[in-house]
Amino acid sequence: MPSAAELAWLIPVLPLAGACLVGLGLISFNRTINRLRKPVAWLLISCVGAAAVLSYAILAQQLAGAGPTEVLFNWASAGTFNLQMGFRVDALAAVMLSLVTTIAVLVMVYSDGYMAHDKGYVRFFTYLALFSSSMLGLVISPNLLEIYVFWELVGMCSYLLVGFWYDRDGAANAAQKAFVTNRVGDFGLLLGILGLFWATGSFGFEEIGAGLQDAVAGGSLSSGVAVILCLLVFMGPMAKSAQFPLHVWLPDAMEGPTPISALIHAATMVAAGVFLVARLQPVYEPFAAVQITIAVIGTITLFLGATIALTQQDLKKGLAYSTVSQLGYMMLAMGCGAPVAGMFHLVTHAFFKAMLFLGSGSVIHAMEEVVGHEPVLAQDMRLMGGLRRYMPITSATFFIGCVAIAGIPPLAGFWSKDEILGQAFNSLPLLWAMGFITAGMTAFYMFRLYFLTFEGEFRANDTAVQAALLAAAGKGNDHDEDHDHGHHAEHPHESGWQMAMPLAVLAVPSVLIGLLGTPWNSRFAFLLDPHEGAEMAEHFSWGEFLPLAGASVAISVAGITVAVLAYALRKLDMAALFANRFPAVNAFLANKWYLDAINDKLFVQGSRKLARSVLEVDSKVVDGVVNLTGLMTLGSGEGLKYFETGRAQFYALIVFGGVIALVVLFGSLG
Amino acid sequence: MVFPWLSASILFPIGAALLIPFVPDKGDGRQVRWFALGVALTTFLLTVGGYLNGYDPAVEGLQLVERVEWLPSLGLAWSVGADGLSMPLILLTSFITALAALAAWPVSFKPRLFYFLLLAMDGGQIAVFAVQDMLLFFLAWELELIPVYLLLAIWGGKKRQYAATKFILYTAGSSLFILIVGLAMAFYGGNTSFEYAALMAKDFPLKFQILCYAGLLIAFGVKLPIVPLHTWLPDAHGEATAPVHMLLAGILLKMGGYALLRFNVQLLPEGHAQFAPLLVVLGVVNIIYAALTSFAQRNLKRKIAYSSISHMGFVLIGIGSFSALGTSGAMLQMISHGLIGASLFFLVGATYDRTHTLQLDEMGGVGQKMRKMFALWTICSLASLALPGMSGFVSELMVFVGFATSEAYTLSFRVVMAILAAVGVILTPIYLLSMLREIFFGKENRELASHTHLVDAEPREIYVISCLLVPIIGIGLYPRLMTDTYRASIEALVQRETSAMTRVVSVPSGSLIRQANLQAPAVPG
Repeated sequence: MPSAAELAWLIPVLPLAGACLVGLGLISFNRTINRLRKPVAWLLISCVGAAAVLSYAILAQQLAGAGPTEVLFNWASAGTFNLQMGFRVDALAAVMLSLVTTIAVLVMVYSDGYMAHDKGYVRFFTYLALFSSSMLGLVISPNLLEIYVFWELVGMCSYLLVGFWYDRDGAANAAQKAFVTNRVGDFGLLLGILGLFWATGSFGFEEIGAGLQDAVAGGSLSSGVAVILCLLVFMGPMAKSAQFPLHVWLPDAMEGPTPISALIHAATMVAAGVFLVARLQPVYEPFAAVQITIAVIGTITLFLGATIALTQQDLKKGLAYSTVSQLGYMMLAMGCGAPVAGMFHLVTHAFFKAMLFLGSGSVIHAMEEVVGHEPVLAQDMRLMGGLRRYMPITSATFFIGCVAIAGIPPLAGFWSKDEILGQAFNSLPLLWAMGFITAGMTAFYMFRLYFLTFEGEFRANDTAVQAALLAAAGKGNDHDEDHDHGHHAEHPHESGWQMAMPLAVLAVPSVLIGLLGTPWNSRFAFLLDPHEGAEMAEHFSWGEFLPLAGASVAISVAGITVAVLAYALRKLDMAALFANRFPAVNAFLANKWYLDAINDKLFVQGSRKLARSVLEVDSKVVDGVVNLTGLMTLGSGEGLKYFETGRAQFYALIVFGGVIALVVLFGSLG
Repeated sequence: MVFPWLSASILFPIGAALLIPFVPDKGDGRQVRWFALGVALTTFLLTVGGYLNGYDPAVEGLQLVERVEWLPSLGLAWSVGADGLSMPLILLTSFITALAALAAWPVSFKPRLFYFLLLAMDGGQIAVFAVQDMLLFFLAWELELIPVYLLLAIWGGKKRQYAATKFILYTAGSSLFILIVGLAMAFYGGNTSFEYAALMAKDFPLKFQILCYAGLLIAFGVKLPIVPLHTWLPDAHGEATAPVHMLLAGILLKMGGYALLRFNVQLLPEGHAQFAPLLVVLGVVNIIYAALTSFAQRNLKRKIAYSSISHMGFVLIGIGSFSALGTSGAMLQMISHGLIGASLFFLVGATYDRTHTLQLDEMGGVGQKMRKMFALWTICSLASLALPGMSGFVSELMVFVGFATSEAYTLSFRVVMAILAAVGVILTPIYLLSMLREIFFGKENRELASHTHLVDAEPREIYVISCLLVPIIGIGLYPRLMTDTYRASIEALVQRETSAMTRVVSVPSGSLIRQANLQAPAVPG
């Protein structure tokens, strides 16, 4: 009987097999398969479920102290080169495997409720299984090259899922933007991988780390080049994990169905970048410049995400920018040389952010009963409010999520965020200050979302606001004919068990999982890096911990208090206080730091213009020369036809003249 | 006596094509197309039979050799054979032609002539890859042009005469160089022979090699095509019908790449050593230039045609890379593009049958009526943009890794070229996904839906695409399926070109492009 770790290849293969089966069925027997909704859903859920069971077995082995397992085979070879593929299971992989499969199963159960009325139900589940497979493959990749393979595949799944409702223009544009932005990152990743292979002759993480250090120490590689290679590789995580300035795709990706936003664009895929940086720690660690760059980019991102989240009116976009900000925290941890802290935040964030997104999906689902299937209306918080009365489970879990992300002990977010801030305080105090301020903003904007959505009056039936929103989105007219035929409910209802159950399940780890990572006895650190765990426990002192923790709790409480005053008790008018007083700042934030506008002007329009002018050159100049040659041949033929007189003597004369000319020519040439 | 697999696969389709006038047919072409499909399939089985029975992938030299003296006074012999360079392409040819016969099902205009030309082309193309004699090669190359010309000129789109004329002038004009160079090489140094083996044994001086190389580069550069010799291609591809299109993209372009490897690299290794950096630069130009023009194109067929040019850039870089991995990658890229290009062009044809327009501005939102078509398009576009798990990714990756680790060039040259080539990694999804976006996504184009009949993909179409996707995904998952069939030959070839380079190229210090210290790359393990 092989051990669970040796069977790890089954974890991505099982969902893949399920997805392929259903996918083939969809192409060959479209109607029949589309009608088999529940059987397909059960098949795919059980595939991912089986993968989850196997993942837990592997995690249990790792907890019991099993070492890493690696299995490789020759995938491509030519000359002396062998490119190897295979899988590798260690503590980091085991944690990610369990995390991804757990959330994937919950999201799939949730989707059964959320997508129940969608005509693409079967296709949706197929994509979900395909994504799970790619993501799980990424997690157990033993080398950079295989990571790149799965990296692209998760990107493709993200493309397919963001563009799932392909008849919506917004979704179509967002899908393309997501893929292309990620390709920009992959451009750097690919070049970086090539460069590192050139420098070290290997794709493996440890080998690259050791080889690069040797090369720099031996003088065969300047440390500047090594830093550039490391940073090129980092471009991949920058795009995937939505780090400034490649974060622009993530908020747009919210056009996809909400379960996708929870699974891919909050909990798993976007964390892949952080995971890769954690994997690359042996490569990055010796180069301080690389570490600092990562930390600075993480800090910019966390600040940018939080500031933009302050002004969002769309519930999902607000959560999306919050994700951007939290990913920034994780990168900051990586840059501070604390991968364990970053990974810990990744895990806690995955649980509570998945729960928040699924909660927002539950809200949107309920809102659609009232305002119709129009994302502009169903997701806007100006039309929500007072939902707590109608949706007790959703609101309770959402509240837990807000407390968790705000960093109030003993919920999950407190422990992981505090650990990052502690590490930053010790290594890069300036960046700590930014992270610290942002923690206050996080608490504020999360509770702003909560109060606007669940407290106060229910505002959905305010037709004036509806009309204003539709007009602002440029959808004023065709909305009426498309959507107003159905009967709309007066007020929303709590979602069914398929949607409520995952929320309740996710609430448990959101509350408790942080306790696994308490700084005085971090089981999480002991699992990932026993050495670091022991060191953390040894160096822990209450005198150091309490002031920092107290400060971050204090700023969170301050943020929550402001939110309560402004949105629950209506004592503070934020519009009068800030928006009207600093219109420039408000516009800057509402326009997302103008980054989309800049990208559009510079890159989108620029590349279109360049392409058009190249095509112009191609058809006018390059092809022009060809056609001109053709015309000249015609012209000379026209001219020469007068020599065709039909008189043999004349031809003989021409031939004779030609021979004479050739003789003279060759004679003079020698 | 051993069964002559190669001669049979060349002569059988041509012979069978001559029987087409005698096929009983009521005029609707039904019997003819079954006959043609049967012949194409038999030819495919013949080539597979040759591969299984007479071909050993581990041997680097020529196999399946058949040789009959034909015109001894001219030194001409019917000499065919296959090595790692030609065997995969022979299989590709018969495979794609069989699928093209199936793709040509709706052709109802002059079916007898159409299938005659299709089958004649099948034999001619296999001959191009299989013959081992330069004069025969020239004949096969030229013979093969005539069916293409007619297929373009009779069954093409509105501007078919212009496109066909341009095609024939371009290729016939450039193939003069093949004849001249062939004659020059054959008559050089007494001992007149056109056979590759004899030419390989000759020791051509460097200047002679450079002249020959330049001539052949023009001839094959038109076929591949290399920018700026490419302008026949968008016209020809833009006017061809879907099955012809599949053959053009799937096989004809590969003749250029194959011939570059066979003649320029194998027969003129020292010339190649001189020209290789140019090939790399031209490859990078191909990738970027054609990707940009493809992005700006508003005509669907021409867009895909330009994307073919862009993908051929990787073949050039691979050939110029002086590394076994890169050259293998070039070979794989040819096969992979043969499959992917054929599938995309088939889909273009199938889409045109429904929309009756190729202008992207006139489409939009088609995905709602044609879901399976949408799925097939998405899969093939993703294959074309080199998604991992499909063959295009492996071949491009092999070219990248091979070139980046090549010891023949200086670091700065490699860095600049690799970065520029990697720009293609960004540009390709931009134009392919924009294309999908404009055809399938968004609100349904009411005008288009009102006057066209948008039926979804039919089983025949799904079958054709599936046949192409099986090898695409198979190679993508486990590339050694394909690379192992030609590995030995490519390694011998690279050995030959590398030793030629050390002989002729003296590197001045401070060179921008080449580097002197040729050493075996150190790979641990």
